[in-house]
Amino acid sequence: MTGEPESGPLIEHLFRREAGRMVARLTRLLGPAHVGLAEDTVQEAMARALATWPYAGIPPNPGAWLFRVAHNLAIDAVRRHAVFGEKTSAIVADIERSADGRQENPDIEEELADDELRMIVMCCHPVLSRDARVALSLKVVGGFGVREIARAFMVEEATIAQRLVRAKRQLRNRQIKLEMPSGAALVERLDSVLEVVYLIFNEGYAAASGVDLVRLDLCGEALRLGCLIAGSSIATPTVHALVSLMALQAARLPARVDTLGDLIPLEEQDRDRWDRALIALGFDHFDRSMAGMTVSEFHVQAAIAATYARAIDSGVIDWAMILQCYDELQALNPSPVVALNRAVAVAKVHGASAALPIVDALENEQALHEYYLLLAVRGQLLLDLGRQTEAADAFRDALLCVSTEPERRFLSRKLTACAMAQ
Amino acid sequence: MAQFMLLLYQTPNPPARSPEEMQRSLEKYMAWMKKPFTVDGKRLAGDAGKVIRPAAGQPRTTDGPFSESKEVLGGYYLIEAANYDEAVARTLDHPHLEAGGTVEVRQLWS
Repeated sequence: MTGEPESGPLIEHLFRREAGRMVARLTRLLGPAHVGLAEDTVQEAMARALATWPYAGIPPNPGAWLFRVAHNLAIDAVRRHAVFGEKTSAIVADIERSADGRQENPDIEEELADDELRMIVMCCHPVLSRDARVALSLKVVGGFGVREIARAFMVEEATIAQRLVRAKRQLRNRQIKLEMPSGAALVERLDSVLEVVYLIFNEGYAAASGVDLVRLDLCGEALRLGCLIAGSSIATPTVHALVSLMALQAARLPARVDTLGDLIPLEEQDRDRWDRALIALGFDHFDRSMAGMTVSEFHVQAAIAATYARAIDSGVIDWAMILQCYDELQALNPSPVVALNRAVAVAKVHGASAALPIVDALENEQALHEYYLLLAVRGQLLLDLGRQTEAADAFRDALLCVSTEPERRFLSRKLTACAMAQ
Repeated sequence: MAQFMLLLYQTPNPPARSPEEMQRSLEKYMAWMKKPFTVDGKRLAGDAGKVIRPAAGQPRTTDGPFSESKEVLGGYYLIEAANYDEAVARTLDHPHLEAGGTVEVRQLWS
């Protein structure tokens, strides 16, 4: 057959990755008010690929193919739309220059990274709600679909769609520019970006059961965005702390669930399955986070993750160090969830009898109301103290609060352990 | 071995899919195309094409087939199979069906 199709597979997530870059590039060329047009154009370019490649084969440089076609479609769209008025020919010339640049321009990767950076910074504009920042970042920069975002965050598709429409309208109405803020505005914006990136990561990490790949993809995308920012001129030690934290936590993902999808406690994980490349990345950024005097929550959390990660070689977890970190974290952020995590470290260092009063004191915290982990930790401490009947009560209460099957199985096993201990 | 033509029809405005979904679909098409019984495959150009009809004097040429059906012919594959049963069986897992398209199977005269 003529035009023998390429035998090599496409790079994983190529479409998603290229979508983010192309939307960022075209939005800069068309103006931020036309981010929707940029998205439609990119969508159409990918549809063209889908209509062509299955017959003609994958072109030698699929990314460049999509880039070129998206630019051509954008030129058509600009000529067709009356809205660009007298600016039409200037915009068309800009798009043409950008289209030609992909092949010959040695700095193209850096320029595209800059486009993406400006885009994520715009998506995290304080005029938008936090939910809108997250959804918009995933859609526009991450190349995620509405359905994927909805599934990852367990909300209705229509809710996400509406949130995106409203966010884009706000950007348009407030004439938000696609530019890098400076000074105090940059500091504030960077905080917002890091918060969004960490929210995305946590959403994937908190419930990544190994079954739903979309959630794992969230961790990957958050890490990618973190590295993008860490590799740019706006990077700060706190950015490196966040990347370190995410990399060290993500390194444990492959070992975190068993074949049933059940969570394996950290100490029982097969450390050979921890991702050594991610651990190395995490420690690299951990070192870089030490420049300067800032100690953010990300720093302390990264220090905790680093302490766990060191067990990959030593085989033992330095709980005294972890407790020290939690003391520090509690000083920075006296939240009930931090206090609960600290109680676990207290139990490891000083024993269950020292930790139980801390956990009991948290029971009336509104934030932990019907929080199964509080009850599960309490149950475990009681079990360790030989108070099986009370432990079983706690695990039974915890069972009433859980939503996922793995959590249910975990607690059922604990209940069996209580019965066996009696 | 007999040859069969698979005519791939698609709806003109398929529902929007995410980049990841599109890539996965594309990968399935590519994998299918590498099956040992596939002989050829071509995409038709995206336009409506021309239709030439006999008329008194000179044949009349018009744009497009103006099919009643909403589906348009997007491309074709040529495959080998012993008979219709095998040709159909080999086509049942074609990703085009999963993507919402229709496949018409026609045996070539030999």
